[in-house]
Amino acid sequence: MSYLQMAVPSRSAHLWRYTPWNRIHPTKPDELPDVDSLKFEVEGYEVSPLVKTSHGSEIARAFLYEVGGEAQKLTINGKGEVIHVRARAGGHIAVGHLDLDVKGEATIILHLSGDAGWCGLHLSGTIHPNAHLGFGFINELDQSTKLLRCDDWSIERDASLDNATLSVGGFNCKSDMRATLNGTNASIRQSVTAHGQGARHDDHHIEIHHLHGHTNSDLVTNAACAGRSHFVATGLLTIAEGADGSDAGQVFRNLLLSEKARAEAIPELEVLADDVSAAHGAASAPIDASQLHYLMSRGLSPEESESMIVNGFLIDAFSNLKNDALIEQMRSRLTVHLECELKR
Amino acid sequence: MLRVENLHVSVDSTPIIKGLNLTIRRGEIHVIMGRNGAGKSTLANVVMGHPAYEITSGEIHFQGRPLEELAVFERARAGMFLSFQYPAVIPGVQVGTFLKKSVASVRDDPPKGRAFRKELNEAMSKLEMDKSFLSRYVNDGFSGGEKKRLEILQMLLLKPSLALLDETDSGLDIDALRIVSKGINEVAPEAGCLIITHYQRLLDHVKPHYVHAMIDGAIVKTGGPELALELEERGYDWLDAAA
Repeated sequence: MSYLQMAVPSRSAHLWRYTPWNRIHPTKPDELPDVDSLKFEVEGYEVSPLVKTSHGSEIARAFLYEVGGEAQKLTINGKGEVIHVRARAGGHIAVGHLDLDVKGEATIILHLSGDAGWCGLHLSGTIHPNAHLGFGFINELDQSTKLLRCDDWSIERDASLDNATLSVGGFNCKSDMRATLNGTNASIRQSVTAHGQGARHDDHHIEIHHLHGHTNSDLVTNAACAGRSHFVATGLLTIAEGADGSDAGQVFRNLLLSEKARAEAIPELEVLADDVSAAHGAASAPIDASQLHYLMSRGLSPEESESMIVNGFLIDAFSNLKNDALIEQMRSRLTVHLECELKR
Repeated sequence: MLRVENLHVSVDSTPIIKGLNLTIRRGEIHVIMGRNGAGKSTLANVVMGHPAYEITSGEIHFQGRPLEELAVFERARAGMFLSFQYPAVIPGVQVGTFLKKSVASVRDDPPKGRAFRKELNEAMSKLEMDKSFLSRYVNDGFSGGEKKRLEILQMLLLKPSLALLDETDSGLDIDALRIVSKGINEVAPEAGCLIITHYQRLLDHVKPHYVHAMIDGAIVKTGGPELALELEERGYDWLDAAA
């Protein structure tokens, strides 16, 4: 079915409850607008054209597939290197698809910037057997840009993905991130760190599917919400029938920094196997008064204390990752962001 | 240095401290002992400015200034330090970063760069702390002993003129108690010290000038180190009449 034949999804659907499709579509839901290409520049690596074959039945992916834009493939047989990919969204509507084909070990940091009115990004990747990828996505779009991001990761036997997102840019962002653990001993450690300011709306839907036994997943989202910002994290964790020995955890934490800030944290589990370990938790709260008092008792002003707690809270989302290079890159970028915010 | 006069303190309208008087001068080590709930920790928290406690009457002066004029962070910058009984956990904030920021905030002429690292290394060495502490998050996953050592490390680096130690010895094994005591003894000659404890054993390592027995929110007896031994031997019942 083509995009234009698809019905606009209902808001009752888990995925579209907080950011309905007509709110994130760049124009009107019954249009496929003209778009500019979102190009990916990779330091030291060649990218090749990606031949896209199908889009499936999900409306956001169908839209990104049919609307066109750039489609590139990055093939890596890594030896532990750190690779920076830069994409700059310009013009009215910019769309791009980057597909990663990973063998060996590598760390990839994707920096997304620019001031396009709307940016559509489709990320897909295959982590081949026994390969290990650290992937960092840094959303540093202009504060007026809308973002639609779709991820599709396939993690094969004995492979691992450390997947970190730092979301500090864009005005209205919708991310639909999906990963499938496709072989025994496959694992994903995923973290999302978001900083909401002004009226920023940032919605992350994260699906992790355990299709085989003895697979592992660990998801942490930490969002600090200031002003009138709104952060949403919905999770869908599935463990297929027969995927025994799987171990999965999801923790969603929100720090509310103002009375008008809002946050939703909705983890969801579907467990069809018998012998698994699956846990989830969610918490939204203002800054802990005992933490503030402790830092102030060490001479930090109230503002400095709050800043340090927020900084630490956001950095802590990366604690479940194991890829040191990735953690360092994400921490550094976050620190720069927070220092810039402090000077405003 | 610290003068507390007829202090009354309530928490949620419940009186905890009821007419407490205490004066601490530079170089003096004072110890307060008492039952659970006597108001010992309340006193330390009130002096440090914890917002949960309300001073209903009485006065506290620090270095001649009424404390009510100073916010919590200003008290710290004026030279006051509280070693917390239960230090807060600050996830994501590395100990090294925290110490550097704290020292820069509190000390008038804070050491920078290499000088700071040298001072930090020396202090950690005295407390037999591994350098890996610095990259850990503040009190996150720390054992009880590690938390207390970090408190004492901060005290050494911040060089306070008044150190309040709220049950810093609780839960420490013998070796840790010895190490923590070493830190207290280093700071004590240049500062006033108020040590809150349940146990006399700390006083095998730290020699107080005054020991106070606190009953039901007031100091009912003051003596020398021998009072601590007596309290440990006889308990507090014999002082109830004085309260």
